[in-house]
Amino acid sequence: MANIAAQRIQREFKEVIKSEEVAKCAIKVELVNDSFTELKGEIAGPPDTPYEGGNFVLEIKVPETYPFNPPKVRFITKIWHPNISSVTGAICLDILKDQWAAAMTLRTVLLSLQALLSAAEPDDPQDAVVAKQYKEQPDMFRQTAKHWTSVYAGGPAKMPELDDKIRRLTDMGVEEHNARVALSSYNWDLERATEQLFS
Amino acid sequence: MSTAEEQPGPSKPSGSATDEKERDDRTFECNICLDTAKDAVVSMCGHLFCWPCLHKWLETRPTRQVCPVCKAAISKDKVIPLYGRGATKQEDPRNNVPPRPAGQRTEPETSTGFPGFGFGDGGFHMSFGIGAFPFGFFTSTFNFGETRPSPAPRGTPQFEEEQFLSKVFLWVALLFICWLVLA
Ligand SMILES: [Zn+2]
Ligand SMILES: [Zn+2]
Repeated sequence: MANIAAQRIQREFKEVIKSEEVAKCAIKVELVNDSFTELKGEIAGPPDTPYEGGNFVLEIKVPETYPFNPPKVRFITKIWHPNISSVTGAICLDILKDQWAAAMTLRTVLLSLQALLSAAEPDDPQDAVVAKQYKEQPDMFRQTAKHWTSVYAGGPAKMPELDDKIRRLTDMGVEEHNARVALSSYNWDLERATEQLFS
Repeated sequence: MSTAEEQPGPSKPSGSATDEKERDDRTFECNICLDTAKDAVVSMCGHLFCWPCLHKWLETRPTRQVCPVCKAAISKDKVIPLYGRGATKQEDPRNNVPPRPAGQRTEPETSTGFPGFGFGDGGFHMSFGIGAFPFGFFTSTFNFGETRPSPAPRGTPQFEEEQFLSKVFLWVALLFICWLVLA
């Protein structure tokens, strides 16, 4: 790994650890290997969003050309959000692409992702199904995102009605996550989700 | 006169000297490598970088030349080098990095206006009009290719242009003096 990349990550790592956001448990980074090429990030779901109370884990890969090129970041924790793929965790965020600037740091990336959870950009979606729901059925979107937060990110919400629908499908032999994806994609319409799963 | 303890501002208990030094160092950190800036340059928007770091950034994004901090438009020709006392030339110039852009020096304006010109009492033209004038003048005019030690940074287009203009000016002055003498 290029010297400047490793050296900078080391400095940034210390900076994040000392930052006030860490003190508030809003963001966190951990080393995955000794060579500073891969890190694990964590962000807390922002208050007053469906992600509140959840803890979202990120995979951060630092390219050799860092900081001249952005780190590669994706969500490991499954999340229901217009700009994040519900399948792969890939993120659509301009600063991780062409709007990257060399003075940005791990800290600013994590804070930007947190801001993305507060303010989605459905017109520049990563997940078209989620984005459509976000625009056309905002209440349904909030419910679904909250449900995913409680299931995958340790969020506090209890939603027995949605859990029941999933159980109906798992009783038919459908894998739980697939059942959740199908129901989420069809606005929790059990019939249409069943149709899609068994077609 | 108040004692040190009563002075306003952040209190500095003993042992914070290193913290303070650290903070001072951080003020002069390059915004790209986060180390103390080497071969420092500052952009028009006021952001500090090592020249090798900034050059690499500009090279990485040739179509989008923006400040890595504030994203203001930025260009190689519009950065100002910072020369701290005893700070330059300690570093090896890194591979593939062109020399840092030179600073641009403009001589302070001398107050000699046109009316005073040509009457022989202005310090400026007398200084070359007497004694060694022809020799100094001719040598300075005809040694374009030669390298002479010069206080101004060489090699920039501005420098060449200034040199050229000053030579043109000398020729005009010479013709004017000849005319004065002959008239
Ligand atoms: Zn630097
Ligand atoms: Zn700037």
